[in-house]
Amino acid sequence: MAMLASLATLLAAGCSDDEATDDGGTIRPLETEGASASGTGSGSASGSGSASASGTAASGTAPSGTASSGTAPSGTASSGTAASGSASATGITVDTSVTVDDPLVEEAAMQYTEYVRGQTDLIVSDATVFTDAVRANDIEAAKAAYAPSRQAWERIEPIAGLVEDIDVAVDARVDDFENEDDPAWTGWHKLEYLVYDVGDIGPESGATELADQLDADLATLRETMSTTDIPASAIPVGASELIEEVSGGKLTGEEDRYSGTDLWDIAANLDGSQAAFETLEAAVEAKDPDLVERIEAGFEDADALIETYEDGDGYQPFDELTEEDSDAFKTTLGSLAEDLALVSGVLGLE
Amino acid sequence: MTVDRRTFLRGAVASGATLGVGACRSGDDASPPTSAPGDRTDTTGSTDPDARNGPANLGGGGGGGGGEYLEFEGRHQTGIAAPTTEDGLLVAFRCTASDRDELAAMFQALTDESRRLMTGEPYEEREPAFPPLHTGHVGNPAPAVNLSVVTSVGASLFDDRFGLADRRPRDLVKMPFLANDRLDPQRSHGDVLLTIASGHEDVNLFALRQLMRVTRSSLTLHWMLEGYNRRTEARKGEAGVRNLMGFVDGTSNLDHEDTAAMDRYVWVADGDREPAWATDGSYHVVRVIRMLVEFWDRTKLSEQEALIGRRKETGAPLDGDAELDVPDYDADPDGALTPLDAHIRLANPRTTKTDDDLLFRRGLNFSRGFDRDGLLDQGLAFASFQRRMSQFLNTQERLAGEPLEEYIRPQGGGFYFALPGVTDSTGWLGQGLFA
Repeated sequence: MAMLASLATLLAAGCSDDEATDDGGTIRPLETEGASASGTGSGSASGSGSASASGTAASGTAPSGTASSGTAPSGTASSGTAASGSASATGITVDTSVTVDDPLVEEAAMQYTEYVRGQTDLIVSDATVFTDAVRANDIEAAKAAYAPSRQAWERIEPIAGLVEDIDVAVDARVDDFENEDDPAWTGWHKLEYLVYDVGDIGPESGATELADQLDADLATLRETMSTTDIPASAIPVGASELIEEVSGGKLTGEEDRYSGTDLWDIAANLDGSQAAFETLEAAVEAKDPDLVERIEAGFEDADALIETYEDGDGYQPFDELTEEDSDAFKTTLGSLAEDLALVSGVLGLE
Repeated sequence: MTVDRRTFLRGAVASGATLGVGACRSGDDASPPTSAPGDRTDTTGSTDPDARNGPANLGGGGGGGGGEYLEFEGRHQTGIAAPTTEDGLLVAFRCTASDRDELAAMFQALTDESRRLMTGEPYEEREPAFPPLHTGHVGNPAPAVNLSVVTSVGASLFDDRFGLADRRPRDLVKMPFLANDRLDPQRSHGDVLLTIASGHEDVNLFALRQLMRVTRSSLTLHWMLEGYNRRTEARKGEAGVRNLMGFVDGTSNLDHEDTAAMDRYVWVADGDREPAWATDGSYHVVRVIRMLVEFWDRTKLSEQEALIGRRKETGAPLDGDAELDVPDYDADPDGALTPLDAHIRLANPRTTKTDDDLLFRRGLNFSRGFDRDGLLDQGLAFASFQRRMSQFLNTQERLAGEPLEEYIRPQGGGFYFALPGVTDSTGWLGQGLFA
């Protein structure tokens, strides 16, 4: 969650919708069912041409709100508009200052929005397998479901984490609290601690309540994301932040310290980053094919590394990671992060 | 002049004490008698201590930093024999390049960036949708503060990964445990060592970040140490700097401007029974030596001086009156004036036989907090450059068991080989390794 600031800033910048801006850039869970939005990310990607190249156009249109989402593909073209629509209607904070005159980028925004929504659906269903096991006080079943339950979350974490307070509620590590007994500590890692370290998820442990809370928080996430259009400018940032997530905190094994399932999370982070980049690949290819080649090679190298740790449907325990492979991850991901950091610039996504 | 001199710890590791990077170059006892008496001054510094002090306009960029931009090209890497500076940074990396081509690309990137940094070539300012090409914290370009980057390689680079085994300098091995050592593997060795030195720590950190950015795909941090040398006014030949034991350090170091001495003692030459590519490079030893400073501060002055072999205040040898006086051990065969096991006497006995072992020292004082016993973690990052590893090893062997060991504890560092310089605009560091 540490990495979210820049994304949040990105999404918040330029938002002209008052109700959405005062929270520092996070997306607010809906309080009212959004009128507009209704996502349809898929719409016709085309519209394009119109694309008011002028950088300012978008912010101008934002306030009018309605221009938005559904119509985005057409008219104003900018991905910013798509976002702005939903902003006014749903309380979501998004960047409306960005204009994009590239139909490929517009298409990417819709594709990625769809991807994110698909993942949030998965998050809810996969988490339920885990929380059901917890409620059933079945430790072995809970262990089997823990790492899988986080996969979809880890694929879109930088985006999902923008929903106000959600990241802290569901994914905080104990380091953010006084100690393990702090009642404010909730979410996956608190349950991980009870399942793997304490070994007690019985009636007195509070696990059931934590499981219920996790389900509720993730339901809120899904609901919010179902009406949020992800602006194109957020895609490269999200792709980068997933890599930063791995580089800054996962190669140490601190994320899943009780279960040792960090390699699952790493694989999902890579997966999600690649999925995000791929939506933009055609647009980047048109402007800087060498960059695409480097990024693809970077993902291939990273995939090759993580694949050697595959074990059945999942991954080996973190402590199996050799020092040599840890180094290889550091340089491979470091290099990938440098290249992904160029995508916004290449596409002119300020 | 306030300077004192002496070397001190030269021994710590070896003979001299100075560390590596920047600062002083002096050598204490290690320097040849010819240069000892009075020649040498730092060009950058002794006469004008402020020159190496930090730039007044850090952040402004573009010169005016109180120093200059250095030449990058030369037979030898410029930073090794450049005038010493106030601040230094030692950074060792592990290399993950998957083959020779990637390794070569890394050296090329390192070369280009080092050249840019040392010569003060500004970075392009890109469109705001891109991350800036430079950190921005010292201006663009960084102020002129005598920044240098020296690239050295460790013995491990010549293992079976890159097919370079037959290119290994003859005496380059992984640094063994030497007398009194408690080497921490997390702070020792490494495939590549960068020695970054300048008049300001901010500029060193700037250089490090820029260098890491272009080598991200192949180099990962292994150990790192920041150090400094506070220069005091000094005459040529005097150390101009004290170590954290309070003694002058670097009094009779080799004079970097004395070409004959540098050729004799520092640079590998054709005919040295080294691989051809190694000519103009230099064996580079780094010893991170913790000083038990609380214990030292409770030690009688007379004992401190006997342990080192010099007067603390003046830096004079125990049989002399001034820092630049050359001790006459022949006249003191029983150690009545300078104990036979005094640090400087062991490090440089000033005999014909040991005259071949002189080292070019460039050390750094360091402080990195405190340990779990609540004791300050301070010391000297000794560094020396020499033509043959035997110069260091012989010196080290003489120092083994010295009484000063009770106060010092070598904890890290390594044996490296500083690559030959780059002599034209198309050349790159390490090119000869791949020829």
